[in-house]
Amino acid sequence: MTRIKKAIIQLPLIKWLVIEMAALVIFSLLWSLESRLAGYSAFVGGLIFVIPNVYFAHRMYRYQGARHAHLMVGSMFRAEGVKLALTAVGFAAVFILMEPVHVPALLFTFAVMVVLSGVLHFLIQPKRQL
Amino acid sequence: MEIVFIAAAIILGCGALATGIGFALLGGKLLESSARQPEMAPSLQTKTFIMAGLLDAVPMIGVGIAMYLIFVVAG
Repeated sequence: MTRIKKAIIQLPLIKWLVIEMAALVIFSLLWSLESRLAGYSAFVGGLIFVIPNVYFAHRMYRYQGARHAHLMVGSMFRAEGVKLALTAVGFAAVFILMEPVHVPALLFTFAVMVVLSGVLHFLIQPKRQL
Repeated sequence: MEIVFIAAAIILGCGALATGIGFALLGGKLLESSARQPEMAPSLQTKTFIMAGLLDAVPMIGVGIAMYLIFVVAG
């Protein structure tokens, strides 16, 4: 039981999240130089990526260890499905509910956050698990 | 106008299919490797998480473009 807790703590999920949010704020500020609406749209576009990604990371590490490998894989499949669904719902909600929306800022920030997340996961490697 | 919905359906369908195939391969390899070397399971899980993030990058952008087509271009 202690081993599972230790393994969870050693993953830099919080670090990834903090860097992603910092990058999101920077991109929003850069877009807000064009207009306030563009900055707001860029922030929402980034959030559409970050929130499902946090849910995916949470569900992915629900089970650990070789004994729970089948539960781990099942949880990963469900988490991926829900992540894609949350992304689609997020975009649909923004396009329906947010009436003036700066679409290039929204989609550009979303795409940049997707790429940045992949790069971050490669650059910040987790610590060795004992 | 119907062509926009067909385009969005093709984007979403191909993205879901590709993600499904990729995750099936990834999950199968994870199970196989965990059974072969159980002590490596936590490390393999982390590597799987990293690869999963890269795997669904393109379908995620596809979902965004498909929603744009449905709700902005066609709407």
